[in-house]
Amino acid sequence: MDFALSEEHRLIQATVREFAAKEILPIAADLDHHPRFPAEIIARAASLGLLGLNVPEEYGGAGLDGLANVIVQEELARASAGVQAIITVQNSLVCDPILRFATPEQKRRYLPRLVSGEWLGCYCLTEPEAGSDAMALRTRAEQRDGQWVLNGRKLFVTNGLEAQLAIVYARSEPAPGARGISAFLVEKSFPGIAVGRVEQKLGIKCSSTAEIVLEDCRVPAENLLGGRGEGARVALSTLDGGRIGIAAQAVGIARACLEECVAHAGTREQFGRPLRAFQAVQWALADMATRIDAARLLTYRAAWLRDRGERCTAEAAMAKLVASETAMWAAHRAVQLFGGYGYIQEYPVERYFRDAKITEIYEGTSEIQRLVISRHVLGRR
Amino acid sequence: MGGVCIVATALEGTLARTSLELVGGARALQPLGLEVSAALLGHGPGLTAAASELHRHGVGVVYRCDHPLLSAGQSDAVLAALQPVVARVRPQVLLVAADTVGREVAPRLAARLRAGLATECVQVEAADGAVVARRQVYGGRALATLVVQARPAVLSVKPHALDVPAPAPVDGRVEDVDVSIDAEALPARVRQVLREQAEFGLEEAQVVIGGGRGLGGPEGLGLLRELAQLMGGAVGASRPPTDAGWVPVSWQIGQTGKTIRPALYIAVGISGATQHIAGVSGSRTIVAINRDPEAPIFSVAHLGIVGDYREVVPALIARVKELKGT
Amino acid sequence: MEIIVCLKQVVDPELPARDFAIDPVTQRQVREGRPLVISTYDENALEVGLQLKDRVGGKVTALTLGPAAASGDAIRLALAMGADEAVVVDDPQAPARLGAAKARLLAAAVRRLGHFDLVLCGCESADWVERVVGPLLAEALQAACVTFVSRIEQVNGTLLVRRLADEGFHLVEVRPPAVLSVTSDESNRPRLPKVKDIMTARRKPVHTWPVAEVAPQAGEEGPLEVEVREVALPERTTRCEFLPGDPGEQAAALVQRLRELKLL
Repeated sequence: MDFALSEEHRLIQATVREFAAKEILPIAADLDHHPRFPAEIIARAASLGLLGLNVPEEYGGAGLDGLANVIVQEELARASAGVQAIITVQNSLVCDPILRFATPEQKRRYLPRLVSGEWLGCYCLTEPEAGSDAMALRTRAEQRDGQWVLNGRKLFVTNGLEAQLAIVYARSEPAPGARGISAFLVEKSFPGIAVGRVEQKLGIKCSSTAEIVLEDCRVPAENLLGGRGEGARVALSTLDGGRIGIAAQAVGIARACLEECVAHAGTREQFGRPLRAFQAVQWALADMATRIDAARLLTYRAAWLRDRGERCTAEAAMAKLVASETAMWAAHRAVQLFGGYGYIQEYPVERYFRDAKITEIYEGTSEIQRLVISRHVLGRR
Repeated sequence: MGGVCIVATALEGTLARTSLELVGGARALQPLGLEVSAALLGHGPGLTAAASELHRHGVGVVYRCDHPLLSAGQSDAVLAALQPVVARVRPQVLLVAADTVGREVAPRLAARLRAGLATECVQVEAADGAVVARRQVYGGRALATLVVQARPAVLSVKPHALDVPAPAPVDGRVEDVDVSIDAEALPARVRQVLREQAEFGLEEAQVVIGGGRGLGGPEGLGLLRELAQLMGGAVGASRPPTDAGWVPVSWQIGQTGKTIRPALYIAVGISGATQHIAGVSGSRTIVAINRDPEAPIFSVAHLGIVGDYREVVPALIARVKELKGT
Repeated sequence: MEIIVCLKQVVDPELPARDFAIDPVTQRQVREGRPLVISTYDENALEVGLQLKDRVGGKVTALTLGPAAASGDAIRLALAMGADEAVVVDDPQAPARLGAAKARLLAAAVRRLGHFDLVLCGCESADWVERVVGPLLAEALQAACVTFVSRIEQVNGTLLVRRLADEGFHLVEVRPPAVLSVTSDESNRPRLPKVKDIMTARRKPVHTWPVAEVAPQAGEEGPLEVEVREVALPERTTRCEFLPGDPGEQAAALVQRLRELKLL
């Protein structure tokens, strides 16, 4: 067992920490108060190689492992969970399934564009009638004149507004449930794909969340991702990686809470003493630090397992469950510790409070994580 | 033979203030019983007055090096001019101001003379026949005492670290040194001098207001300027605002930048990096205004205000105005 | 253009005061357990060198003198930022050496590297701030010397450099070979390495030379050693008096105190 990060991992951490502190943090509050797509940050992130962290060098990527990815995602989320959401989708939900399931031609076509930031990607799984029970999805894919024709509606698609490439899950086979689903690489320029409603959200506001509408959307036959009827396999593998990315996001938000609280406890005085002189505050900070570390270690372990090519579904779910609940809890404590200042926009903790909540919801709610973990515990797959 | 030789410059036409500071340094070495002379470098009629000024402060022999290339920043020319002086005087101790030219000349001269070298000294004295120099180390957190036994010894002295001594006139004489410099042979030559609008009298001001990273942007400087104007002071900055381009480089106070010793220094939004403190620790009274009570600036400040400068400085301005009004 | 950039790691100069200590025996800062960082201006020197290479082509070699064990981060960062290769002169004694001795060893290492057009170093080290390494290297290598340079341009075989000066800036024409010490400005803020380059840096050559192998030859001695008698922490004579209250009260209290001190 070795808990030390390698020289490269440490340098990546230091680099992204500096990038986040100098270029993201100064505008993080503004991106939340006046939401807009942070094109300049995403371009800079691309130039540093943060949009294709795990993509091999032959496709222009950085060729890093999954552990490097979670280190990067934590640092980004520490500064802005919204910016991180955009970037983690690109890495874990778009590049990752392409790397694992795409044909060499598909990889050559899409990965360089995604890595360079020329294209942003999005991931279309959830539907109005298929949220936690994703495999109940109804979007249909039919073969017509040697092409696939997709019809349906996808909801809550992160990056949906800006993305030029969508990974879309649709029912292509007569088989019921998970076995009838296939995944498709759908370019925004294909006829019949459109952005529907763009949601207003509680948090992570600078990332778009949109409805994607498919109306007789024509997709070339070669844009099938993975085999026919293999969509569930693609989705489940991708979910493991996605959850690890959200766990890292949650760790980053929780760390932001802790760091702001430590600073505030040093400056803010009550009853003639700084807050940090109060034992109640000290204990709260100790609990936060401990839970954050536990969440981070679970996240690192899940990433490490996945890097080794081992099954990590339960471990990814555990990491995401603990990290997201830690983030929400830490944000709750942070707002309380800040008192009135925790409730106003001049200070960042109310933003962390709003941002933290999503980590308990997307990529599977806490309830779904518990379901996944309990199946593992009870030996049912 | 021998003695203490100061490298005095009038590269801009008049005797540099730092040259008189070096005279003060030479006086501190009096226990060594050495005669004090000066190499005076520059060009034109101003040298005569500069030489008299040196005499007036107790320098006996002034070796005048007059050459058109002895102008601002021409270190290679200064080095070339010093060679014949050093050959003639054979000084035991050479004192050089650690200014733009001196920073380059002092070490190079020491290398050529196989001399003992101490740079950026803030104090020089004699003890037991040796030259003892003190200099700030570790960003001003500590003071090193160096003993230079070697002869010759080359010491560079930080500008504004020593006081200009009181006049002590002597009947001196001027000896002209034959300086021949081959302009084409100089490996480095100043082609252009770009003068920057220096904040007026930053080094001389009795009140200085310094701004740091905590200002959050160039806008904050307006408040500091208003306060400085009210108090008859100057505005400076620490390294982050200079690096960020909020203020001209000439405003920078600190190890890299200007050393100030005002009666009152007010540090606003300055965390107190050692690099900055090294340049302000000579201030008589230091006031720090910072949001972070743990900021290191409070460890050197006499008076501290923990708070947001955007609230504190306007209140201060209002209060000072009120005072002026009555 | 062959560019050599000297850089080193020092104890973080912004270390909290409670962690700062002087070893009574060596009269140097205690390093054990303290975080190391790249000395303040060395990264600017590297950035200037890399920018020049980006414009005119050539090669950048990072050169560090220090204990090999405490030089890895500097070397890795330099290679990740774009240096082509690195040389570590492994010298456990380096942190205790003064600039004159360091310059002697660096000059010997530069000579061993062979041809160069430019040697760049930080304008001062974050620990001893002697500002001598550049000028002494120039003397030892018989190269031109300009200190406190922030920008370099190549113009018809010569270099036009911008030097920070007492009265503003000087544009100085320099003929290579030259040793330039570098100060910071907005044009030479160190770039962030690309994550890909952090990984590929591993493939770049790093040479480690024991310090004994770069011992200077006779006649290269430079200035004589001086004795460091003492490194002392100044007595803390001031205690900060914090002024309480809201901003209005604080301002009033300050004005009051300044008047008492006859500063207003």
